Amino acid sequence: MAVLQLEDLAKRYDKKVWGVRRMDLEVKDKEFIVFLGPSGCGKTTCMRMIAGLEETTRGCITLDGLNITDLAPRDRNISMVFQNYAIWPHMTVFENIAFSLKLKGMAKDEIRKNVVDVAEMVKIEQLLDRFPGQMSGGQQQRVALARALAVKPKLFLMDEPLSNLDAKLRVVMRTELKAIHQKTQATSIFVTHDQSEAMSMADRIVIMRDGEIIQVGTPEDVYFRSADMFVAGFIGTPPTNFFKVKLKKERNQGALEHPDFKCPLQSDEFAMISKYGRKELVLGIRPEDFQLTKTGKGILNAKVLVVEPQGSHQVLAVEIDNKIVKTIISSDHKLSPGDPVSFDLDYRHLHFFDTESEKRIS
Amino acid sequence: MGKRLKQKMYRSVKTTTLYIVITGVAMMLIFPMFFLFIFSLMSDYESYSEWPKPLLPSINTDFRMERLNDVSDEATYGLLIFNHSEDKYMPFGPESSSREKKSLRKLSNFIRNYSNCELGQEEILDLMNQVDQNTRVDFTLKKGLLNNYERFFKLYSGAFNSIIASLTTALFTILISLSIGGMAGYAFARYVFKGKNILKLSVLFVRMFPPVAIALPMVITLGKMGLYDKPAGLSLIYSINQISLSIWITASIFMGIPESLEEAAQIFGTTRVGAFFKITLPLAVPGLAACAMYSFIYSWNEVINALILTQFNPTLPVIVYRSLLGANAQVQLIAAGSVAQALPAIIFTLFIRKYILQMWGGVKV
Repeated sequence: MAVLQLEDLAKRYDKKVWGVRRMDLEVKDKEFIVFLGPSGCGKTTCMRMIAGLEETTRGCITLDGLNITDLAPRDRNISMVFQNYAIWPHMTVFENIAFSLKLKGMAKDEIRKNVVDVAEMVKIEQLLDRFPGQMSGGQQQRVALARALAVKPKLFLMDEPLSNLDAKLRVVMRTELKAIHQKTQATSIFVTHDQSEAMSMADRIVIMRDGEIIQVGTPEDVYFRSADMFVAGFIGTPPTNFFKVKLKKERNQGALEHPDFKCPLQSDEFAMISKYGRKELVLGIRPEDFQLTKTGKGILNAKVLVVEPQGSHQVLAVEIDNKIVKTIISSDHKLSPGDPVSFDLDYRHLHFFDTESEKRIS
Repeated sequence: MGKRLKQKMYRSVKTTTLYIVITGVAMMLIFPMFFLFIFSLMSDYESYSEWPKPLLPSINTDFRMERLNDVSDEATYGLLIFNHSEDKYMPFGPESSSREKKSLRKLSNFIRNYSNCELGQEEILDLMNQVDQNTRVDFTLKKGLLNNYERFFKLYSGAFNSIIASLTTALFTILISLSIGGMAGYAFARYVFKGKNILKLSVLFVRMFPPVAIALPMVITLGKMGLYDKPAGLSLIYSINQISLSIWITASIFMGIPESLEEAAQIFGTTRVGAFFKITLPLAVPGLAACAMYSFIYSWNEVINALILTQFNPTLPVIVYRSLLGANAQVQLIAAGSVAQALPAIIFTLFIRKYILQMWGGVKV
């Protein structure tokens, strides 16, 4: 049982630079929360404040109703996995994992049992007598994980734990981390700048920019109902394509007009945008919402610039209005640069944003 | 083809030159030490009467004893020693010796003092008897290799006490400079504060004063503190120099130990101070030991300050320096004293050698 509440949390360095401007968040019990954002957005600072490694400038951190804002890290009942593992090189794996248990004054047999338990959970039970210097990066990461798990904390913090691993191992560890979370059911916070990591692991994603929360929501929420253009551009690879368009009314049907194409609207969307009142807006289209049709028949015509085969699909870069637009199409189509192509759109997932505030129109 | 040959030749000339230079530098470093060592094993006769000096110390010395006159009632004998540079036996010791007790003692002492060999009075009598039968006897004696060292510490009466004084001084210097310098180094490595770089640079300024220039005020100050002519006082003066160096060295050691190791310790149950003692200190120990080596060598070898700031409790370098002066200066004894002084520093360095790399921030994680 662990509920974490952040109220008006802020961090300012040297009375000048804001690390975190304002964080209000409630993390539910057993939830896996991911802090996602570009580097320098304050996600790690926020996590370090929760861990107690960084003093807060303002605000309050509550864990299970207990105010832990000014407690020392060791009194907070948390544990953490560091980006560079931070396992102690002068201790064996066993000593590393047993460190916190020893300080708690646990009996020797009990320590042994606990260490072996977590070591089995992260599959390093054969490595207990080794020193960290004799192990690979992936194994070191597992040791760091085991050490954090051994504490049986109320709150489990992970600071970009996978970013030092190679691409293949990262995907494997992602699955294992999720499995471990499902087994231990510990409330977890995971910091990353990799949106695919966030999407695949999170119960809820907290998207941050410039020390502020932009959007909190499930992976589906942030993907299909992005709060603003930043989120829509940050989540998904390739990112969402944006077009500046004008709203036009023709008979009873509305349409969005772009110098190069015209996109008819469904009636409820038209009603929504009409209600919003502005004539100019930004249309966001995800790469996979472009549908290749017979040349000349679609609403959007362009020439192929680059083809990037990905195996399961291919990314097609085309040029529209001097901007590169990336689309995802099936691998079946054989296309080469210079070929004329024509697209239809999947109208269910169009995104509309305000031109100035860049916020979602809904 | 000619071009390729030229290139090949050029390359081999380059390598050869490089090796010659390296060998030369090595010789420059090693040869004086080696020469000093050889000298410390030589007897007085070898070091003053033989040239060129042998590259390896001789273990045995060849002697010859001859009958000088044929008068049977008062027989006298002459002793000769084999001179390696002249390649023949040369007269050694008193012009003539008789069977009198006084003369025998004189000869025995002479052999001990000038050739580092032991020959008792009974044995001399034995030899004389043999000479009476054969007119001449050649014999070989084993040279006492370490006699010079023994004699150095006997002759310069304060030498043994000075080793203790030197060790105490070195120990205090290490303690003071490592504790104060280490703390400052940790602060420089871990904290960001205003004027950090200027402060770090300015601690080196104290090293710029020539010690002789400020020696007199130091004598007065130490005298007022009651620390004149004491190892503790001397180590205070040495620490002035060593603290600044220790700060730079320890700062780079601590910078090489990731801060996240301490943070992890804090999260997993220690206080901030506990994290330092449980995690950082054990990791830094090799580097700190290498830093201690610097302090040790400096304090062990320093002579100018020690000369001014001590009187009755000198350190070993001062004794060696004093042995250079005066009428009884014997080159082989000075060599023995120098080697005796250099040896601890060399041994200490060899022990600590593998940690020196860590001193420049290379913690093996």
